[in-house]
Amino acid sequence: MILQSVYMLLRRIFKDKLLYFIIFANLIIGYATFIVISQFISGEFMWDRNNTKYDRIYRLQLFMDQKENTIKHTWSTTAALSRKDLADLPEIEKIALIHDVGDNNKSGVFLSVDKRNQFLTRFGYYADQSVFDIFTFKFIEGDPRQALTQPYSIVLSKELANKLFPGGNALGKQVYGENKVVFNVTGVYDDLPERSTWRPVYLLPMLSFSALTGYNNYETNYWGYSFYTYVLLKPNATASPVDNKIFNTLKDFRKEHHPYLRPMSKLNLNPFFDPSLYIALGLLTFLSVLILVLSSINFINLQTASATNRFREIGIKKTLGFNKKRLWLQFMFESMITTVVAALIAIFAAQLALPLLNNMLGWGTFPNILENPTLIFIIIAVTLITGFLSGMHPAFVISSYSPVAALKQKFITEKSNGVSLKKVLVTIQFSISVFMLIVAFIIYRQTKFMLTKDMGFNNQTILFSNIITNKKGPFEPLRQSLLENREIKDVCFSDYIPFILPGGEDLNWEGSKPDEKVFVRYSNISYDFVPTYELKMLYGRNFSKEFPADRNKCLINETAVKVFGWQEPIGKRIKASGKNYEVIGVIKNYTVQSVFNPEEPHLYRLLPDSVISDGIYSVNFAKGKEKKAMEIVKDEFQKYFPDDAFEFTNIQTLIQNDTAAKAFKGLQKITSLIAILTILISSIGIFGLILFMTQRKMKEVGIRKVLGFSYGNLYLTLSSWFIRLIFVSLVMAWPAAYYVYKVLPGANKYGLQIWEFLLASVIILIVAVATISYQIIRALKVRPVEILKDE
Amino acid sequence: MIQIVNLSKIFRTEMVETTALHNVSLEVNNGEFVAVMGPSGCGKSTLLNILGLLDSSDSGEYYFDGTEVSRFSEKQRTNLRKGNIGFIFQSFNLIDDLNIYENVELPLLALGESQSVRKTKVEEILEKMRIGHRRNHFPRQLSGGQQQRVAIARALITRPKLILADEPTGNLDSINGEQVMELLEEMNATGTTIIMVTHSLNHAERAHRIVNLFDGHLVMERSDKVFEPVI
Repeated sequence: MILQSVYMLLRRIFKDKLLYFIIFANLIIGYATFIVISQFISGEFMWDRNNTKYDRIYRLQLFMDQKENTIKHTWSTTAALSRKDLADLPEIEKIALIHDVGDNNKSGVFLSVDKRNQFLTRFGYYADQSVFDIFTFKFIEGDPRQALTQPYSIVLSKELANKLFPGGNALGKQVYGENKVVFNVTGVYDDLPERSTWRPVYLLPMLSFSALTGYNNYETNYWGYSFYTYVLLKPNATASPVDNKIFNTLKDFRKEHHPYLRPMSKLNLNPFFDPSLYIALGLLTFLSVLILVLSSINFINLQTASATNRFREIGIKKTLGFNKKRLWLQFMFESMITTVVAALIAIFAAQLALPLLNNMLGWGTFPNILENPTLIFIIIAVTLITGFLSGMHPAFVISSYSPVAALKQKFITEKSNGVSLKKVLVTIQFSISVFMLIVAFIIYRQTKFMLTKDMGFNNQTILFSNIITNKKGPFEPLRQSLLENREIKDVCFSDYIPFILPGGEDLNWEGSKPDEKVFVRYSNISYDFVPTYELKMLYGRNFSKEFPADRNKCLINETAVKVFGWQEPIGKRIKASGKNYEVIGVIKNYTVQSVFNPEEPHLYRLLPDSVISDGIYSVNFAKGKEKKAMEIVKDEFQKYFPDDAFEFTNIQTLIQNDTAAKAFKGLQKITSLIAILTILISSIGIFGLILFMTQRKMKEVGIRKVLGFSYGNLYLTLSSWFIRLIFVSLVMAWPAAYYVYKVLPGANKYGLQIWEFLLASVIILIVAVATISYQIIRALKVRPVEILKDE
Repeated sequence: MIQIVNLSKIFRTEMVETTALHNVSLEVNNGEFVAVMGPSGCGKSTLLNILGLLDSSDSGEYYFDGTEVSRFSEKQRTNLRKGNIGFIFQSFNLIDDLNIYENVELPLLALGESQSVRKTKVEEILEKMRIGHRRNHFPRQLSGGQQQRVAIARALITRPKLILADEPTGNLDSINGEQVMELLEEMNATGTTIIMVTHSLNHAERAHRIVNLFDGHLVMERSDKVFEPVI
């Protein structure tokens, strides 16, 4: 019986290739999309899971309870908190203090083996030996129990070790930092997974921190917010008693700042109590489930449509004494086997698609689907449920035909008025299609808006490099020799540039209450920073060599003016780093850190014309002349900084690498993909429906043709109810899509426009009309005799 | 074997009532061969459907082997039909997606026979019907006559007590029609009761008895041959 069902199914597949191709394509697309998106989402929850003590690892964070601040949380904390306040808490087993080598935000450090081949390396960290007790590092060489116990040791990731020592055996060898310091390799660890919130490329011992940075007594310093602290709680300990003890521990220093522990499970998706990413993932899940629903509805329709070709089989089987249950089981079995086969192919297809998607979307590599038992379980459950639900309707309808009716191929006639299941399915299907298309448009436009919005500074023709140097001397001669070239339009230096986020301080301002403070970021810039980056001055003027007193003056940004509540900003005073500055100009807001975040108050101080030890040099070049400009810049800087390594890059690389921009790009691409799949799946669905309907209306078509109705008239008869339902579904889809726009996270939202709704609806309408026309025209071409003969 | 008393069947739509059978009474003995004749729409097929338990009557009684079955549930009717009644149709009604062997095997599947029993019985009947060499072909690859032989094989495979044939020669040319009639007579000779609807007086006259229907009424019974019950 089972075998016979399989045979029959296979025979029908070979006989009706187009129909079964559509049936399978529909299911495979539905399942594969669901699997791929599930993989992506489970990937987001897989972060840091490689750590065996995952459940006990916490990061120290600060809640900054200042209402003027737009950013309320940070994991940049002070060393003193870690060394003093956390040190003796009974709940804590291990504490690790960590600090960037150089400024990882800004640039890397040059490492080399022979002082000649230097590798600009980012993401190095000073760390306590205890990091190896907290995080799970797999050592390839060396001993994790003492890798960071000696000064001037260095522990390399496999990636970096392979770069520095291509032959292997790094242990015990020497590595030069900036050609100035020598480190001994004490260990090599396997690269940490891409999905790690903290992913060091190399580690230096914290006990060399003071010697290497000149930052003494950092362990008792409550003001330097550049350290990170991770803790390992004792088994069975919880974070809340720790939080209770440390929440007000800074009351004597900064009473608005409250330290707390954030569990590792929250670090990737929700470090700062902001559900945005959950919303985005939820939306993605929702869309993938909708695709699944769409393809299931399609499957139901196609199954029922194809079953109408099988009335004779049903009639005969009933006549011969097959009971209703048995027929029900047969149809159910066919439905299940179809979905199971489709799911298996979909797993295979998804497995193949993931590396491609990884390339396209930059999702990072995924483990084999088969190694993800939860996902496999979900896929099995979803397959069986959709198989069962999709099979139930056709199986039920078919098995309850009376044998006489089935043999005479009389269809159970529907009520012509009233709501039939078919109409409900059509409406749901159209609503989902239109909804998904609008949402895809919204997300696409939103991301495009974010990525291409005017950032308020020249982000196209700037080259920059961080140079760490011992050189002293004026900058102007270098600038002048660069400006002699037509390709170079302007040059400046500063300690920070857009997309490399400076630190800041809680500042008082003129007119504030004595205890009222707000976090203000500040950069130090040369005279030519504003013209080089083509920033706009809202009020006042830029720094100028004509005013020697400008060293005690400052520029602020638009947000600062707003936050301080100044009507007349020029001439107002701010106290920063213990010194008073007078405002001489206001810079129009530009994107300082990320396309995703709102702007913060920003203060700019003047760097005199003398190179600094850790500066960023920016060159504005003539459009289209990047290559030539790069040569000139390399040449001139080499002459000026003969002893220092540097590497100029276009500022676009910074912007492209911005995490928020990356996330949005990924989202943009995946929604485009979903939009295309939606169109595809809805046309499959419409095709199935029309097939179903035209079959049922064949007799009517035949009679009308015999009576001499025109094609146009027949076309309208067959399509009008369908078009009507499309309009009903718009009423459901539009408000739902608008709701999604409302909950979409992000500070910079673009303005919604009606044409997106119209366009999405029109596309679905066109797809529907095109499919319906194909089917109707095919039906109309059949000679009436053939149709009527069958009746 | 079969006895119907005052059987009526009315088809109703929203507006119209059509009486397909009107107080029909008929008795068919074990081993008898009865032909049912009448113009189109007189109720022949309806009568056959009711006799075959595919349809139910609105009033009247129906005794099958002494049991009153007219009020049987669908499940009961399915069970009674299974193995006891064989059907032969004008349009053969073979399943296109099954080959000849599988088509003939179907009734045994419905009865839940084992694989080996099914194999023996199907092989046997296919040889008897001289279509064994076609067992792996599909219905559309066969001529009309061959298809009807397959359908007859399918009807006979469970050795039913009753064969209901609805214009079994209607779609066949005279030679093939003749062959089918011979097969029916052979079956009847082994004791199977046959009720056959036909338009052909020639074929009808080969039955023991002809029953005429007109507008749902039984109008005339004619018996040319003397029928003697086997048992």
